[in-house]
Amino acid sequence: MDSTSRYLSMEKPNKADHLWRYTPWKKVHPTGDLSEIPPLSPPEISLGIIDGSELPPGIELKRGVFGEPDFSMSSALTNSFLHSSAETSRWTLVVDKGFSSEKPVIIDIKTGDLASVAHISLEIGKMSEFELITRVTGSSEWFGLLRTGQIQDGAVVNDVVIGLLDRGTMLRSDSIEICRDAQVRAGTVSSGSERTKSDLRYIMRETGGNIRVLGSILSAESMHLDHHIEIHHEAPETFSRLSWHSACGGSSRTIGTGMLTIRKGSIGADAAQIFHNLLLSKTAEADSIPELEVMENDVIGCGHGTANGPIDEEQMFYLKARGFDEDDAKRSLIAAFLNSTLSEMGGVDLHEWLVGELTLQLEALNA
Amino acid sequence: MEENSDARVAVGEYKAGWHDPEESTIRFDFGLSEEVVREISSLKNEPQWMTEVRVKAFKHFSERKMPTWGNMSMLEEIDFDKICYYLRSSESTEKDWEDVPEDIRNTFERLGIPEAEQKWLSGVTAQYESEAVYHSIREDLESQGVIFLDMDSGLREYPDLVKKWFCSVVPYSDNKFSALNTAVWSGGSFIYVPEGVHVEMPVQAYFRINAKNMGQFERTLIIADKGSSIHYVEGCTAPTYSTDSLHSAVVELIALPGSHIRYSTIQNWSANVYNLVTKRGIAHENAKIEWVDGNIGSKLTMKYPAVILKGEGSHAEVISVAYSGAGQHQDAGAKIHHLASNTTSKILSKSISKNGGRGSYRGMVTVSPKADNCKLNVVCDALILDEGSRSDTYPTMEVANPTARCEHEASVSKVSDEQLFYLMSRGHSEEESLAMIVNGFFEPFTRELPMEYAVELNQLMALEMEGSIG
Repeated sequence: MDSTSRYLSMEKPNKADHLWRYTPWKKVHPTGDLSEIPPLSPPEISLGIIDGSELPPGIELKRGVFGEPDFSMSSALTNSFLHSSAETSRWTLVVDKGFSSEKPVIIDIKTGDLASVAHISLEIGKMSEFELITRVTGSSEWFGLLRTGQIQDGAVVNDVVIGLLDRGTMLRSDSIEICRDAQVRAGTVSSGSERTKSDLRYIMRETGGNIRVLGSILSAESMHLDHHIEIHHEAPETFSRLSWHSACGGSSRTIGTGMLTIRKGSIGADAAQIFHNLLLSKTAEADSIPELEVMENDVIGCGHGTANGPIDEEQMFYLKARGFDEDDAKRSLIAAFLNSTLSEMGGVDLHEWLVGELTLQLEALNA
Repeated sequence: MEENSDARVAVGEYKAGWHDPEESTIRFDFGLSEEVVREISSLKNEPQWMTEVRVKAFKHFSERKMPTWGNMSMLEEIDFDKICYYLRSSESTEKDWEDVPEDIRNTFERLGIPEAEQKWLSGVTAQYESEAVYHSIREDLESQGVIFLDMDSGLREYPDLVKKWFCSVVPYSDNKFSALNTAVWSGGSFIYVPEGVHVEMPVQAYFRINAKNMGQFERTLIIADKGSSIHYVEGCTAPTYSTDSLHSAVVELIALPGSHIRYSTIQNWSANVYNLVTKRGIAHENAKIEWVDGNIGSKLTMKYPAVILKGEGSHAEVISVAYSGAGQHQDAGAKIHHLASNTTSKILSKSISKNGGRGSYRGMVTVSPKADNCKLNVVCDALILDEGSRSDTYPTMEVANPTARCEHEASVSKVSDEQLFYLMSRGHSEEESLAMIVNGFFEPFTRELPMEYAVELNQLMALEMEGSIG
């Protein structure tokens, strides 16, 4: 069955479905009419190096996706919808075996003003080593991003997606397989869109997979940012960490739901997830659900945690005593809070670039 | 091994698994209908309002779908048409132990109830099938105005008090099983502690299912008036049958300003009992509610003791342990809702899974926008003792106030080789060492129990640990 038929034949989820509890499918569907897959435009997509220099050989963004992606571990509803609607906007990032780049590579997605969608398949070759930024900008009412693919044996990849839409809704779904001994840092920086629903799933089916999933989420005004992250350990000696920091101001709401599964046979698995929420206003709300399912007894350890709180008064006092005014002190502490995950997402160049982007967002929100 | 032999002597191999011959004075046919509901109410000679509540609840139960979360495959196995909803084995609730029918008396004597009453309880209710068969309270408490009755007597003797509070904390429409309980409830405890009275020693209720395919639906309502305190302890057992029984209770606690209610449970149903219970308390200004909840038995338990912190300065604590053995799923947890400022709460959950058992923590903590300066802490620890066992945690935290300080932490691990080595190097066998580690793991729970319960729980756990090695 193709993805269009699959989507149309599926029963649409209600609020009892855990994944859609806080953000119903109707709210993130482009038209709200769940029975249709409306025509969506392809966004403008380009591949480059963040400083504008020439791309080294061994990396290419090709039109089209080969074969039907494996959606067995992902939300059939979201992925069928996005896969079907992205028929004219499918791309494959092909990275050769052993490819290496010192400068971060960027996939720049400009949505323009129209509702648009893109499917990017990641085919990251063995033993490659690089940093990848996927930046989404534009003023469209609705944007959908589907990312699928594999990070193959021994690859070392820092993969950061930064969503900076001026308005509207962003629907994102990742379904990424991490192969033997691959090391991945998967970062998400989210700020801008009025509503975000993302469903990020990482699967380790082979020994030695290693992933750190990091989030820096900044919400203000009436934004509604809902991120669901699943990490599946299906092989021995696999390692994962999920660290998610959300700062919410205005009357915004952030939601972080995590699902960590350790399948039987994942001997020596080591997994942990933590959600930190900084509440900045009386009317903001932060929800966290860090879930854990462990079916193997011989593990290094599996844990999760969540902590919510306001800006620390002592830290504010410290900064104010050193000449910061109220707003500057607050902005600095928010930046530091978000930076603690941001700084883990990649090397110096990537970090500097991300801090620059985040600073612009903070200033815009402050204004 | 010596310790485990002691344990076997003390508690036997699921010591409560025997059953008496079924001798009933009234037994309804299997299945549930409005007629059955009305008949139960009529048999008890209840006021009209209660009959109406029962019928409304029955309609809600009939229309409401089964939960779409939790262990749905186990829930689907429940056949509501093959359950007996009312069975009375004794003509009345006796105040004198000698007046209880002999076979029932023997059952509770084997469970140690009268002995415990003499030693360390302020009062006892013993429920057998659908009705309380024995009930007593110390005279000095009675003279201070403490009401401790089975729920049916409570409704008869204090109808206004019951009408005021019944369904006020757990409405029948709360969930499918609270609707079922409200429709067919029978037995349970009714307690009222007057203003300023402190009940120093615990009161106890003991629930026993004896018949096959039996449903026990007791209803408990505890009201602690201003500045009072009470500790209520309940225990549950059932025989081991090849067919399943259903226990679906509702417990409502009302802690008025400055009062303190502690509710302790050791649930040791046999492994053929579905234990689907709704327990909730409401705490007014500066009141305190504690749930101390031990889940050792049953086939499937779904139980999430809840506290609504309605009054400023109120406090809630839930301490729970769960042991999941072969074929068992303990889906337990806690819910705390912070609705007022300066409220605090603490949840500590410990679970052990063994022989393919599954332990799940499912919890929810919310802080409402108007609740300033709340503090809450949730800790979940789980041990998986062997291959094929499973542990899950599903915590939800919804915080809508920036002044709240909320923490949640959880870990799943196996028994540390270093701890085992340490104990074995001091002369303990591996099995004994494991039992000691498990008892240590449960210690934050057992220290909150009355001594007799704590000792029995330790022995029970030592017995469950037998055969864990090799």
